[in-house]
Amino acid sequence: MRAPRHPWLLTAAATAVTAVFLLPVYWMVKTSLTRPERIEAPDPQWVPGPVTGENYSAALGYEGLTRALLNSLVISSGVVALTLLLGVPLAYALARVRMRGSGAMVLALLVAQLPPAIVLAAPLFILERRAGLTDTYLGLIAADTTLTLPFTVIVLRPVMRGVSPELEEAALVDGCGLPGVLLRVVLPLMVPGVVAAAGLSFLIGWGEFLFGLTLAQSPDVQPVTVLLNAFVGQHGTSWGALMATATLISVPVVCVFALFQRFIVGGLTTGSVRG
Amino acid sequence: MRQPSARRTRTGYLFCLPGLVFLALFLAYPLLYNVWTSVHDVDLGQLLGGAERFNGLDNYRSVTDDPAFWHSVRLSLVFTLASLLLQFTIGFALALLFARPFPLNGLLRSLLLVAWLLPPVVSGTLFRWMLDAESGAYNALLEPFGLSHDWLTDPSTSMAGVVFANVWVGVPFNMLLLLVGLHTIDPVLHEAAEIDGASAWQRFRHITLPLMRPVSVTVLLLGLLYTFKVFDLVFVMTGGGPVDATRVLSLYVYEVFFTFFRFGRGAAAGLLLLVVPLLVGVWYVRRLRREEEPAGGAV
Repeated sequence: MRAPRHPWLLTAAATAVTAVFLLPVYWMVKTSLTRPERIEAPDPQWVPGPVTGENYSAALGYEGLTRALLNSLVISSGVVALTLLLGVPLAYALARVRMRGSGAMVLALLVAQLPPAIVLAAPLFILERRAGLTDTYLGLIAADTTLTLPFTVIVLRPVMRGVSPELEEAALVDGCGLPGVLLRVVLPLMVPGVVAAAGLSFLIGWGEFLFGLTLAQSPDVQPVTVLLNAFVGQHGTSWGALMATATLISVPVVCVFALFQRFIVGGLTTGSVRG
Repeated sequence: MRQPSARRTRTGYLFCLPGLVFLALFLAYPLLYNVWTSVHDVDLGQLLGGAERFNGLDNYRSVTDDPAFWHSVRLSLVFTLASLLLQFTIGFALALLFARPFPLNGLLRSLLLVAWLLPPVVSGTLFRWMLDAESGAYNALLEPFGLSHDWLTDPSTSMAGVVFANVWVGVPFNMLLLLVGLHTIDPVLHEAAEIDGASAWQRFRHITLPLMRPVSVTVLLLGLLYTFKVFDLVFVMTGGGPVDATRVLSLYVYEVFFTFFRFGRGAAAGLLLLVVPLLVGVWYVRRLRREEEPAGGAV
């Protein structure tokens, strides 16, 4: 498209749109920094006035919160590890090895993203209960990985195709087996892709709620998303602490996004359907 | 000296095995088990005692006889259609704006995406606060126009409230995909039309819109798949209420299963919920394959 005559006018318009759009996010952070007695004033303050950390100490003072944040960290790290462990070889084989049925496998991975999480949560509840996996990190990690694994493979496969086959052939000629080729030749070349896929899986694991709600009854393993929802019910009016908690949950999301932005945008437009 | 291809193929299968076994255990098996549950009489007691009784299509019958189920179907339709229409239109308008080159374009675009990346539980909580009757920021803005309202606790407006939040979540994604589509349109077309005296509206109507049709179909289908199964956002904002004003299908299934522990019925309802995404998804995947895996093709 041609360069517009007044590019800064467009910048102004886009800035205004973005500001209006992001008002809720601003309001979340603003509320979290406002003194509790001023939060529910009939005339909301548009700037926090004296900034305070009170809401954060109130939220963190609730013993469950640090535990839940830690649980979320454990769960989403586990999701990342399991997803990469299972997904990288799978994506590589589907990208590079001629196999019967690889078309069917790709199709299955696409279809695997269709079932709404609630349809899976119900039978998983029964089955994991029988297997003794409810109320365990493992049970939650496995459930969340059903969301991230198909997605990661779909996203990584084209990335792996991008690695020049000559390099692999050379390594194979040198007597490297396929696992060696994957570990020593392909993986180093696609570190950015794999790291970003890890970032994506982390985001999905970190934000997951339904499996946390249904498969974890004990606060020992419940993720912070479930705790936030419980807060909304219990301390429905303590908006300061709530918004502080919401902000705390959002910070890792924004950091991970800022780090891997390019790939995440590409990956999410290529991949995700289920939620 | 090439590695024999049979061995390579075997190794390839071995690479696939762990991932496929995992998906079989934690995805395929539970879904099949759900089918089994849906034709049995299972509640919490029977589950622990192991005395499930086969009851044919009884569960399906009791779900489809339940007026609350059909109410949820209607709500899901309203929620999905309203969300799709609004987020697509707004997303398209934003895509047209961001398709033009201007300073800070990339930065502002990334900022918009933050809205979409927040965990739905956070967005839900956030919109509860924004729409709060007494101190919500939106009501403070609407007050001067006499439009402030208790959006989420009034059954006649709570659906509008959750749609509003869902549109907010969906707009950046719509914008992103449509923007990719806009960039594939050859600018020469617009220039030629402009020289021929076509107005901006005519160019949009006769060049941009027709060429955007395939992308638009993709965006709308993905939006449909996504919106139809939204759970977290609505659950956190209203819990399906007030009364049952926002109890969309996914919440209905949740309630039957996890609140009333009617597992057989819940499984049946879940499978009915699966029908729409499955039909749409299969149609979409077939369409994708016909286009032979275009770069950046979705799902």
